[in-house]
Amino acid sequence: MYQKEVNRRSPLRVFERSIHGGLGPGNIGLVMSRAGVGKTAFLIGVALDDLMRGRKVLHVNTEDTAEKVREFYDEVFHDLAEANELSDKNAVHLTVERNRMIHTFLGDTFSMERLQGALGYMREFMDFAPAAVILDGYPKWDTATDEQMEELKELAGKLKCELWLSSLIHRDGEEVDDRGIPQRIARLEKHISVMLRLRPTEDHVRLELVKDHENQDLADLHIELDPRSLLLAWR
Amino acid sequence: MSKAISDINKVRNIGISAHIDSGKTTLTERILFYTKRIHKVHEVRGKDGVGATMDSMELERERGITIASAATHCTWQDHHVNIIDTPGHVDFTIEVERSLRVLDGAVLVLCAVAGVQSQSITVDRQMRRYNVPRIAFVNKCDRTGANPARVCDQLREKLKHNSVMMQIPIGLEHDHQGVVDLVTMKGFIFEGETGEEIKEIPIPANLQAEAEARREQLLDTVSMYHDGLMEAMLEDRVTEEMVRAAVRKATISRDITPVFMGSAYKNKGVQLLLNSVIEYLPNPTEVTNQAVRLVDEKEEHFDVRVVPDAPLLSLAFKLEVSPYGQLTYLRVYQGSLSKGDFIVNQRSRDKVKVGRLVRMHADSMEDIESTSAGDIVALFGVDCASGDTFTDGHVQASMTAIHVPEPVVSLAIKPASQKAQDNMSKALQRFTKEDPTFRTGTDEETGDTLISGMGELHLEVYVERMKREYNAEVQVGRPRVAYRETMTKKVPFDYTHKKQTGGSGQYGRIIGELSPTESGDFEFVNKVVGGNIPTEYIGSVEKGFRSCVDRGEFYGFPVAGLQVLLQDGAAHSVDSSDNAFQAAARGAFREYYVQGAPTVLEPIMKVAVEGPSEFQGDIMGTIMKRRGIILGTTEEDGFTRIEGDVPLSEMFGYATVLRSATQGKAEFTMEFSRYGIAPSEVCEELRKVWLEKRAAKK
Repeated sequence: MYQKEVNRRSPLRVFERSIHGGLGPGNIGLVMSRAGVGKTAFLIGVALDDLMRGRKVLHVNTEDTAEKVREFYDEVFHDLAEANELSDKNAVHLTVERNRMIHTFLGDTFSMERLQGALGYMREFMDFAPAAVILDGYPKWDTATDEQMEELKELAGKLKCELWLSSLIHRDGEEVDDRGIPQRIARLEKHISVMLRLRPTEDHVRLELVKDHENQDLADLHIELDPRSLLLAWR
Repeated sequence: MSKAISDINKVRNIGISAHIDSGKTTLTERILFYTKRIHKVHEVRGKDGVGATMDSMELERERGITIASAATHCTWQDHHVNIIDTPGHVDFTIEVERSLRVLDGAVLVLCAVAGVQSQSITVDRQMRRYNVPRIAFVNKCDRTGANPARVCDQLREKLKHNSVMMQIPIGLEHDHQGVVDLVTMKGFIFEGETGEEIKEIPIPANLQAEAEARREQLLDTVSMYHDGLMEAMLEDRVTEEMVRAAVRKATISRDITPVFMGSAYKNKGVQLLLNSVIEYLPNPTEVTNQAVRLVDEKEEHFDVRVVPDAPLLSLAFKLEVSPYGQLTYLRVYQGSLSKGDFIVNQRSRDKVKVGRLVRMHADSMEDIESTSAGDIVALFGVDCASGDTFTDGHVQASMTAIHVPEPVVSLAIKPASQKAQDNMSKALQRFTKEDPTFRTGTDEETGDTLISGMGELHLEVYVERMKREYNAEVQVGRPRVAYRETMTKKVPFDYTHKKQTGGSGQYGRIIGELSPTESGDFEFVNKVVGGNIPTEYIGSVEKGFRSCVDRGEFYGFPVAGLQVLLQDGAAHSVDSSDNAFQAAARGAFREYYVQGAPTVLEPIMKVAVEGPSEFQGDIMGTIMKRRGIILGTTEEDGFTRIEGDVPLSEMFGYATVLRSATQGKAEFTMEFSRYGIAPSEVCEELRKVWLEKRAAKK
């Protein structure tokens, strides 16, 4: 299969149709799940879909070294290439690497100023302007404020990029609303355009749409994440 | 003369591995001092002009770094410790890897201020490849900004070690006096001019709480490695023995990295580190080493038996020229070896007599009668190459081949005089034996001698050694990259070689396909049926093609990854010959290879640059200007590490550029990563150079 085909047949196209054209530049998307269910795998899936179409992606992370994140990408890419029998795998991988920046802030060094600084360097020295930014590990939802969310929204608007965030849902004992969304996240909902939840069932993980821009009628996505290969698939 | 070591359990073969500036040489020097191998301590870049004892090469002394690995022997607490000094610079990775092959455990030295740096990461990756158990020593606790706890965290975050503090410091920076040992829960301070007086003190009151908390962490981490420990913790009857046994087990299985600390320069903590080497690093029987033998023409790996009465298996891992003659460092893996024995080199089949067997100390040697499995010794006057296996002649096996990378850069050298010419030949002969990644050859166009290796610095060091050790002054050309060329598409061929002028004629016709391979190797596939090409000439065709891949037709570089599929052909009962079919293959290659859209492959290096975060942009700029791809950026504590892939041809002179872009505050490492397709403008340029060269020849 050729690279374009892989993109065209990606379950993410269904997802985009379901949410009427995707997240859209300047908007914030959020994926939630319990620990170890596959938030990062989902975000990498979204990133790879962009990267393979030649769109630039910045992946920001606060926990693992850049090398570790890159290994994660390589794993998902490898599985994706195998599953789709991708032709010219090496050339596509090179495209992915050329269009991707991984930036890690270890040991509580993340701040909006630093992120802005790094983005400035990327623009100035590398002519790098991302179409999507993955921000894994910020904000801290327990303590996040409206100001922080506004700052993020402003950044997405300024960069004209899609901004993806992630959040952990704790196992139990947490205050949730009628959709099962923790209060600490729901209170900031107005800043977020698309919300997704990964829900593990017996042998697979379902992707559920929790919020779709202003639409009240939420589509059933029929997409799941294979917990072994970490690839997205139709159900 | 001393006897063979009677108890293998009391042997430790260790490496001391670290970043250049973390004080490794000073630490080694102090170890040799406390183990009474030397009687005075020096500073590495000493004002006394003597330098640390382990730095046996003058060049190393001058630069304050250690390049060659020498094995040195000492004793501590009734144990024999062989220290294999491993070089820190990545351009000498073959030296590092060769030493890693022979050691059973290592001390990873880290600077308490700078912490885990880019070179530590590279060296760590190599150690992981050879499954070396490690303990860490956080050095320079006396320096301003020292923070051993942070270094321990970095081991966890950057290197993914399950690091656990075994000590906490008593005082830091200029107050640094000693450490609290979390196993015995006692304080130790070091007094006397050279720290040889160790005083046991109760834990200082201000450290009591921290010591208890850290001990909890230690116990939590290792509890699962000892059967009774968890229970003992609940009942509050944990013994020192239990903790030590658990730490030892987890260290040897490479599940944890215990962290010790001190300051070698200020003589703090070194003796306790030596105790820990004995206590926690494995003896030779506790690690598995494999050898290779041929069974029915297939390679078969098997575990060596670390016992004295098995047949001898040993590896020559290092050659050195000493004032007394050639010295071969040998690790005995199996069996035993005595003076007067005959041993057989498995590569050359040479049988040699062991004349002198010695144990090397830092700057002296000791004759010994015999040695056995697990030990490291040196032989005199044995002619061999690094990496050769010696056995008793009855065993046909080789110690696992050491992974040797192909050189990626070469340099033309020209001797300045006739005398230099002779000396240069001697030097090159020696270097190629010592270092398998260092090769020599001749430039066909100019007749100059070419030396090739793993990087610019790698070759520079050898040029300097030629000058210093062999008095061979040479002029050096510009570094050249080892490019390759390859086809990018399949081309069918049908070629007839025919010659009928006088005497017997020549005839050979071959039909088939040329195509690129993924592996990069030359492959020949014979699919001829019905005897259209007589069997005896199939080999001739292969030979003919094989002779062409040394130099491609399109760019003049060696051809990588060519597959020849031979499908059909024709022969003549009188005029066909071995020569005719070889000529047909060469003709076919000339005519059809160029139709396969040949492109240039260039070596791509994995480059890691680390420097203060304020230079992040400047560092990125230097990589982007060099056709590099930035693969990742990691920020921490004011430092940023940028990793990228950069073509080797763009990396010449990078050290200077980086220095001026960052006020000398950033450093970089690079390692060969892979061959990659060069962009078309580079290909065109190289094609032009080749065409000019070819025209000039005609």
